[in-house]
Amino acid sequence: MSAAASKLAGKRILIAKPGLDGHDIGAKVVALALRDAGAEVIYTGLRKAPDYIARVAVDEDVDAVGLSILSGSHVALVEETVRHLKAMDAADIPLFLGGTIAKEDHATLRAAGVVDIFTSDMAIEEVVDRLAERLDALQESRA
Amino acid sequence: MGELNRRALGRALSRAADAGVAEALHTVIHAPEDPIRRIALTGAPGSGKSTLAGALARERLAAEATRRIGVLAIDPTSRYSGGAVLGDRIRMDGDDDQSRLFIRSLASRHTAEGLADNLGALIALLAAYGFDEALIETVGVGQIDCAVRELVDTVVLVINPESGDVVQAMKAGVMETADLYVVNKADLPGADRAVAALNGRGGAPRTPGWEPPVLTASMDDAASVRRLSEALDAHQAWRSEAVDQHETRRRRRAYMLLALLQRQVQRRAETLGPTTDPAALLESLAADFRSFADLVRDQGETRDHG
Ligand SMILES: Nc1nc2c(ncn2[C@@H]2O[C@H](COP(=O)(O)OP(=O)(O)OP(=O)(O)O)[C@@H](O)[C@H]2O)c(=O)[nH]1
Ligand SMILES: [Mg+2]
Repeated sequence: MSAAASKLAGKRILIAKPGLDGHDIGAKVVALALRDAGAEVIYTGLRKAPDYIARVAVDEDVDAVGLSILSGSHVALVEETVRHLKAMDAADIPLFLGGTIAKEDHATLRAAGVVDIFTSDMAIEEVVDRLAERLDALQESRA
Repeated sequence: MGELNRRALGRALSRAADAGVAEALHTVIHAPEDPIRRIALTGAPGSGKSTLAGALARERLAAEATRRIGVLAIDPTSRYSGGAVLGDRIRMDGDDDQSRLFIRSLASRHTAEGLADNLGALIALLAAYGFDEALIETVGVGQIDCAVRELVDTVVLVINPESGDVVQAMKAGVMETADLYVVNKADLPGADRAVAALNGRGGAPRTPGWEPPVLTASMDDAASVRRLSEALDAHQAWRSEAVDQHETRRRRRAYMLLALLQRQVQRRAETLGPTTDPAALLESLAADFRSFADLVRDQGETRDHG
């Protein structure tokens, strides 16, 4: 195991696809990249409801949830997911967002509780690095 | 039992799964007896274990109105990255009412033979949270995976409907460890021949008094899942009469201890690296095992004195 490969060692991450869009190539590419960085990755499959995603995040006790959304309805889906996580006493599970996310929505999404947003134009290495940094920072701030 | 606290159970499972050897030894030594039924599905990669586990869990929940089932589904850890894609859940989960069902995906981590670290302790946690049954899906391994036998009551071998898979299983030695055979995907051609091959397998049954039945299953046939569930009940009923529970518990504990000691040997060998002086490896192992022995003795004394 190289040092670069273990950036996400010991982390469990849920990659989830809420909403109605039917493409998950991006989500699968991310899932494999996270695995290659040492994470244990659970992928939900397409078209999952926010309450389902929150329950899986809780049952699997993940360190982060990554929502992949291409449908444009990201604000509503994020708010719903956050609401369900809170209802399950899991507001502390950090939420990340990836996909086609219009710039003008970023501030709203962050205010709703999204820790970071990864847009489709980012290189996969950059996504992995930034996610690892964010999770490390969160861990430190909580220790 | 009150409503299930999923957050608490989810976290407790993480702690138990992450426990190092010393901590896990403590858990094994002090594990209380628990009545949870333990069923494992094992079999070649892609034979349909996850799909079948999901259907079976729902069938068994419907059969008993208060039953709670915990599923522990194991997928392999990559040796290169240490990461894993845990893909069993996607085949077994649904949007239906989940108040009596809890599914947890596990990576095999340091444990070979299709199992995961501290699996016995994870099953014990399910028992502590009021689950009646633990359903284990092992990693899809082609080779011998008899280890699961040591942790569960009933081993179900899930077989692809090509007789080649039967031959493979016979060679690998998994045949003798199963309590039930299921030729899965029976909607596909070849299932009849696989059943015939299994029925003609010959040899003495592994457990005197229990002749492992050969069943078929298919996801488009609910009755086949019900028959499998009833066969599981029959095996559980037979066991409760014929098998000494104390002996079973002793064997389980012995297996868990051995698994932990093996993990420690492996860990030391890995940290020291392949070029280490053998004497140095033996020295550190001796120190490790001495500290385990101290731990066990101290805990024994604390217990004896109150
Ligand atoms: N025709 C048919 N296909 C099935 C049936 N059950 C499962 N499958 C298919 O078999 C494939 C593998 O199913 P899984 O349930 O993931 O198999 P598995 O044994 O859990 O796989 P691993 O965990 O990767 O070893 C999937 O494509 C399923 O759709 C069945 O009854 N009939
Ligand atoms: Mg599976």
